[in-house]
Amino acid sequence: MNNADILIGANLSKRFDDLEVVKDVSLIIKEGEFVSLVGKSGCGKTTLLSLLSGLEQPTKGQVILNGKEITGASEEELALFRREHVGFIFQSFNLIPTLSAWENVALPLFPIKMTNEQRQDRALELLNQMEMGHRTEHLPAALSGGEKQRVAIARALINNPKIVFADEPTGNLDSATGDAIMAILSELHKKQGMTMLMVTHALELAKTADRVIRMQDGEVIT
Amino acid sequence: MNINYIVKELFHRKRRTIVSILGLSIGVALFLILNALSLAYREAARAPLTEIGADITVQRAGNVPEELTGAVFPCSAVTIRREEINKIEKIPGIIGIGQAVLVWVFDPHRAWVVLGIERDNTIGPAILRVFVTAGRFLEDGKSEALVEIAYARQFGIKLGDNVTAAGRSFPVVGLVDASRAPKIAVANLYLSLKDAQAIAAASKLLQTVSPFAPDDINLLFIKAEQKQITSVAAALKEIMGEKAAIATPESFLKLLGSLFALSDKFTWAASLIALLIAILIAFKTMAGNISERVREIGVLKAVGWTQRNVTMQLLTESVIQCFVAGILGILIAVIVAFGLSFMTVNIPIPWEMSPKPHFLPGGGDQLFKTLRLPIHIPAMLAFFALLLSVFVGGLTGALLGRHIATIKPAEVLRHE
Repeated sequence: MNNADILIGANLSKRFDDLEVVKDVSLIIKEGEFVSLVGKSGCGKTTLLSLLSGLEQPTKGQVILNGKEITGASEEELALFRREHVGFIFQSFNLIPTLSAWENVALPLFPIKMTNEQRQDRALELLNQMEMGHRTEHLPAALSGGEKQRVAIARALINNPKIVFADEPTGNLDSATGDAIMAILSELHKKQGMTMLMVTHALELAKTADRVIRMQDGEVIT
Repeated sequence: MNINYIVKELFHRKRRTIVSILGLSIGVALFLILNALSLAYREAARAPLTEIGADITVQRAGNVPEELTGAVFPCSAVTIRREEINKIEKIPGIIGIGQAVLVWVFDPHRAWVVLGIERDNTIGPAILRVFVTAGRFLEDGKSEALVEIAYARQFGIKLGDNVTAAGRSFPVVGLVDASRAPKIAVANLYLSLKDAQAIAAASKLLQTVSPFAPDDINLLFIKAEQKQITSVAAALKEIMGEKAAIATPESFLKLLGSLFALSDKFTWAASLIALLIAILIAFKTMAGNISERVREIGVLKAVGWTQRNVTMQLLTESVIQCFVAGILGILIAVIVAFGLSFMTVNIPIPWEMSPKPHFLPGGGDQLFKTLRLPIHIPAMLAFFALLLSVFVGGLTGALLGRHIATIKPAEVLRHE
């Protein structure tokens, strides 16, 4: 394996009962690369993202993330692996409604032994970076869609991940807010060299990335 | 586990939190109150005996002479022989005994209920010494008498007077307020045991129906180990025979006839059913709460929470709810018990323990020992209920948490 290859997916297939959603997909993502995975709804791109990020196990094939093979790992091992190496951004933000913005950002750190002050300092640093320093104590219900996604991005970064997986990060936002979020992701990639794999159905957004991978009917077509 | 997160979750889901806490707390309160009521009735049933310093009283039924003149025994209390007392003293579990002689004395111008007492024995009617309102109590070795104050007033008897009963004269050295005294073993005239035995032994009429030696008695008071009262009562019955009337706290409890007094097993069963229903309500509410959070748990797992982290979080939430429910249940029980403590209980005194001849005015009236319900929540029972509540919380949290924590994040996040 080349050292620059941070994520390798080899011959990945995923079957749900009779339906094969991902069919023998292989791909490599290099460190610092921004890759977008584009395709129509139901083409299997979100499932492929789940396989590559360790959220789901493939029916067949192999995933090597940051030099470690994660296929066949137990749920507990995968959880610990995600905590240490992976960040997630979801379409519907998936913030915990009872926690404030900074607590949502610090959520991945809750199971880690550290003081609450340390957690808060790290979360506030990231929220400031996302220009959310004035909304740190607000609950998700009091935030706009764009603000929620900024909080979710900060949460994805709290553990200094090797790679961030973004699943339709602008899917629930209006175009102006979506553009702002894409600008943040681009900046993260360009200024901090963050490796990113973004799933989207919008070709325009996909073009923001260094590389675009197209999917159709569970297969990579380009 | 993050306490701040737990507290916020519980506050956020107020309705479910309140339902599960209230449901379980009412169950805990019911469990405590039902048991406390049962204990209170048991304690109340002991009152007629404990106030006379005994746990058991023993009498024997017999015949009354056809002609009522001089000293006679009531039909409910005839001779208990010395050799029987000697055997009784050897029954395992007996701490001490008190003896008395109760006779009805029909003199030409007056009828007396006369009670001979052991002046220095704390078991039995000598407890009356605290109810002497004028004069003094009986002194050792002297033939003297105490008169019940209402009786003295009725017949104009004063301190220092001499009263005659069954042809024997006694100086009145004290007046006793029997209205405040125990309801059993009360009399109009109190003598030393020796004097009362002498009166009974000298009565030819009495001897014809119930032979009585000078050291026999007809009332026996027994102090026994609490756990052995039932076995002592059975042994007494064996020694005294079929005509024995043995009063125990259990027999008073039966007279009370309260649902709570019927059986401690019934109370335990009823209270445990109440608690079980409450546990099921709490379980169902908490299960509903957790199932509403499947997506949230998926997110936690996606961002790196392990199954153990999730289970511990849910378990702690559940334990906190049940602990609060336990404390609230105890508080409710204490408040309800305080309210119930103003209730009075009337404990019927069996007719055979009533010293007054039933054919005299008021003699047939049912006697009651009236007291406030001695209800309280025992600390050990409250601690047990709290422990049970926390255990239920732990079990519920562990079961539900373990189940829900096995979900795969991709399964719940897939449907975006």
